[in-house]
Amino acid sequence: MATVSVTPQQFTFVMYDAGRIAEIASTLADQLGFGADEVIEIDIDEKTPLARTRIDSLESPVKLFVEGGALEDSQTPRHLGERASATSIGRLLLRVLDRRSGRFADAPAEDQLTLPQVVAWDTTAMGRLSALGYDAQEPRRRYAFRNRHGFTDTADQVFDRLWASDEPTWADVAAACEETARVIQPA
Amino acid sequence: MKKLMRSDDLARDGRFKRVEVQERFLDRRMTPRMREAVEGRVGQSEGKKRRTEFSPEHPDAPDRARALMHGIFVGEIQALEGAGRTCWDFETGAGQDDVPFAMKLDMARQCWDEARHCEISVKLSDHMGTEIGEFAESAFLFEAACNPDPILRLTGVNRALEGLAIDVFNTMKEFGDTSGDPVLEFCEDWMLADEVTHVKMGSDWLKRVTENDPERRQRALEFQRVVDKLFSGGGFRGDDESSPVKLARRFRELAGFDSGEIDEIAELSKQALEEATARFNAEAASA
Repeated sequence: MATVSVTPQQFTFVMYDAGRIAEIASTLADQLGFGADEVIEIDIDEKTPLARTRIDSLESPVKLFVEGGALEDSQTPRHLGERASATSIGRLLLRVLDRRSGRFADAPAEDQLTLPQVVAWDTTAMGRLSALGYDAQEPRRRYAFRNRHGFTDTADQVFDRLWASDEPTWADVAAACEETARVIQPA
Repeated sequence: MKKLMRSDDLARDGRFKRVEVQERFLDRRMTPRMREAVEGRVGQSEGKKRRTEFSPEHPDAPDRARALMHGIFVGEIQALEGAGRTCWDFETGAGQDDVPFAMKLDMARQCWDEARHCEISVKLSDHMGTEIGEFAESAFLFEAACNPDPILRLTGVNRALEGLAIDVFNTMKEFGDTSGDPVLEFCEDWMLADEVTHVKMGSDWLKRVTENDPERRQRALEFQRVVDKLFSGGGFRGDDESSPVKLARRFRELAGFDSGEIDEIAELSKQALEEATARFNAEAASA
């Protein structure tokens, strides 16, 4: 099982349990195929309720940055949400594996991705987490997808395709973005 | 049947989870709005294209919209419960503790509107991929509806909180329009039309019932100010272009607010943001 470390170890703005976050991440890393010798470091900014995330290093130690809101239980503010933690960390770990796989070799750097590209790639990640048995909130992800790709039948069909893909490539994501953009902004 | 019910007595099924109003104020984390204030960016978008967390190009916009609309949904339930209680809690008459029969009729009409808004909100939740009860419920609207003076209750709920709903609906209607979501846009437009009527009811009854009682009118307006400031979301709602929820001046005028009153709400929101930011800075410094 990969070694996971969480910073900070003690929280003051929220009532999170660093040990539990590490457990969730370890389980995910195992399920997703990270090696037992891998090290994953998760840096959490507990001072904000926002939910931005970032990958700071793809190679071991894998470094993930997470704003506190991404791990929060939406029903119990300031408490750790199991579902939110699993999907937020799982999405990042899948992004790391995708980039390492070579299937996304042509993908732009993280800070160069457009919002539609981010959401399309995330859709593939959420679909894969759902296939593993996690509650990835498909209707919520579909709404986010429609916001970036249009409230159209085409966008829904593309979403279904991305959600079901078990080994997506950058070409799949790019093609999805082009397909929905053609409907929103016809030539 | 019990009169003057407390918010603890409200019936909810297992999907809903209540969060106390005090709990909200214990949350010391920095909101995006506070971050703008700390970085000196509030009011700096004057003349530029409005970009807030409810702008379609904002990465968090869809999830922020879902959370806000769930807050509106539980607010609609409480508004229905509050208007219903106002029909029941007071006798018809001309005494200080009584209310005119026509006011009860207005409250009954409001119940009808709020019930329809609940149905719209449930369907809108489905559309936005939100589960009923996915977000915590705060009972602050009903708590304002627990005031034992019917006129204070009307100013707190109909003028302050339904006024806030006008601002939210107008903002979300714009969000639906710019993000190309016709369902959200039309839902907001229809509910906004009713909210203007509800706020106008509050404005009209405040004037009529306190026509010969300036001291009571003053108390009612003071209660409204307290509610307005408390629930401006630490400056979340305001008058400058960078406010996530912008004061809907035109709709507020239609609902019986004069420009001086709207300016005062803008000032209260500004104060609330400054106070919240100062609290955060002080705590960050001591940590």
